[in-house]
Amino acid sequence: MTNAVYHDTVLFADRVSRVFQMPAGPVVAVRDLTLTITQGEHAAIRGPSGCGKSTLLHMLGCVDTPTSGRLLFDGHDVTTLGDRARSLLRLRQIGFVFQRFFLLPMLTAAENVELPQAEAGVPKAERARRTFELLDYVGLAPRAGHRPSQLSGGEMQRVAIARALANRPRLLLADEPTGELDQTTGEQVAALLDRVNADGTALVIVTHDPALAGRARRILTMRDGRIEHEATQ
Amino acid sequence: MKRRTFLLALSTTLIVAFSSAQTPEPPSILVSRQLAETEGLAEGDVVRLALDAAGAGARPFRIAGVYEPTPDPMRLGTVPREVRMHLPDLLALTSDDDAPTGAEHVARINIALADPANARAFARSVNGRAPGVFARRAAATGSASTFVVLERFHLAIAVVTIVAATVFLLALTIMLVDERRETVGVLRLIGLPAPRILLQVLLEGLLIASAGALFGLALAWVSEGLINRFFQWRYNTALIFVQVTPRVAALCVAIAVPLGASATLAASWALMRRGALRLARR
Ligand SMILES: Nc1ncnc2c1ncn2[C@@H]1O[C@H](COP(=O)(O)OP(=O)(O)OP(=O)(O)O)[C@@H](O)[C@H]1O
Ligand SMILES: [Mg+2]
Repeated sequence: MTNAVYHDTVLFADRVSRVFQMPAGPVVAVRDLTLTITQGEHAAIRGPSGCGKSTLLHMLGCVDTPTSGRLLFDGHDVTTLGDRARSLLRLRQIGFVFQRFFLLPMLTAAENVELPQAEAGVPKAERARRTFELLDYVGLAPRAGHRPSQLSGGEMQRVAIARALANRPRLLLADEPTGELDQTTGEQVAALLDRVNADGTALVIVTHDPALAGRARRILTMRDGRIEHEATQ
Repeated sequence: MKRRTFLLALSTTLIVAFSSAQTPEPPSILVSRQLAETEGLAEGDVVRLALDAAGAGARPFRIAGVYEPTPDPMRLGTVPREVRMHLPDLLALTSDDDAPTGAEHVARINIALADPANARAFARSVNGRAPGVFARRAAATGSASTFVVLERFHLAIAVVTIVAATVFLLALTIMLVDERRETVGVLRLIGLPAPRILLQVLLEGLLIASAGALFGLALAWVSEGLINRFFQWRYNTALIFVQVTPRVAALCVAIAVPLGASATLAASWALMRRGALRLARR
């Protein structure tokens, strides 16, 4: 049913909620939220701290499971999938970018980008070619052999973006991708994300930064676990 | 040629042999290595043995060889300064005119057979032929009960050591694995399934445990040599104090490797279930 209606829908969150059971009582982080992400979409999620942006992003990225509601990826219900299937979905279809980069410190930039491909079973030669291509894409080909500790924050984030794109995901999720960067570097990363989206990957960015949010075609404003306002530009 | 007189100490073990035809040469004796060392004796030396300290009635003997006494853990600390001689020489030395066959009684003699498997048949045969003589096969370990107690003591120490080491190991691996919480979280976020990461961790744990076991064995082998050498020097004996046998080595590996691997696995398990989200939520 949903398949037919949203044929270009990548992700459909159907009245999803996330409740954390805490000793002091339940915390409702996301409340009955419905959201559709279509192919090639560029969306930004804004809202005050604690309104549930990250929690929503984790559910969209299949890292966390809604306590109620359904989440359809490509028309398939992923809320009922086991850990292995969800892991593989993340590996092949979803890319993540975080505020704190989360690169593996013992691996070089190239190895960080190569890792998800190796896990996805990409042959070695193709992996090497794709890794170079990606590092070149983010402007870091000359730094391929450097470890994260030898890179600046902006460079680390660009490596993280290259890693997130390694298996050509349909959806890229970014949680405060410029949060730890100065303005100029942040703008470089924002421009890179624009380019990723222009090249066809659906992009959902959670951010407090109005400039970064302003680059998106669709801006969602959250409050208390709900989408309070939505604007398209 | 050295000539010395000293008191003959009768050894508890007496090798019985019958000397060949008498020669004008002094009869031959064997001296223990320890005696040879303390008295500065060598093969070919002629010594004089007497029954009393004053040296009365001393007789000459030629040292035909120096032997290493069979080490006896029950007599650790008493250095065996012994002489072995042919029985007729012993009788000649100890007899007095009233009792030409000697006043010494030999209550027991040990007989070493060329083939120890014949011991039972030999004993039966001796018992049948020589009334009044009781022959039996000697137990393999003379004072077995002492060693059973020692063995249990060793086992107790081993168990305590292993339990303590396991607790220590587990604490250490928990710390190590916790240090890699972020790495595991990143791998989970990228989309590596938990079993895949666990397998990796297990392989790593196995590798480290094997390396640890090998290191432990190497250490044991080195200290085996050192400990033996030290105590052999300290007690002037050829007794082997520590021995890492292949069985002991195999047992160590068989305990250490699975223990180390499962410690790693146990430490990673809880982390694996929560790693990704805890990391993402920070
Ligand atoms: N693991 C958790 N356990 C309990 N409560 C949680 C957990 N994760 C989030 N929450 C709660 O859910 C609510 C939403 O949190 P979330 O991290 O999604 O907010 P956010 O919009 O991303 O905030 P920020 O802009 O500060 O990152 C908060 O009240 C938070 O305390
Ligand atoms: Mg957040």
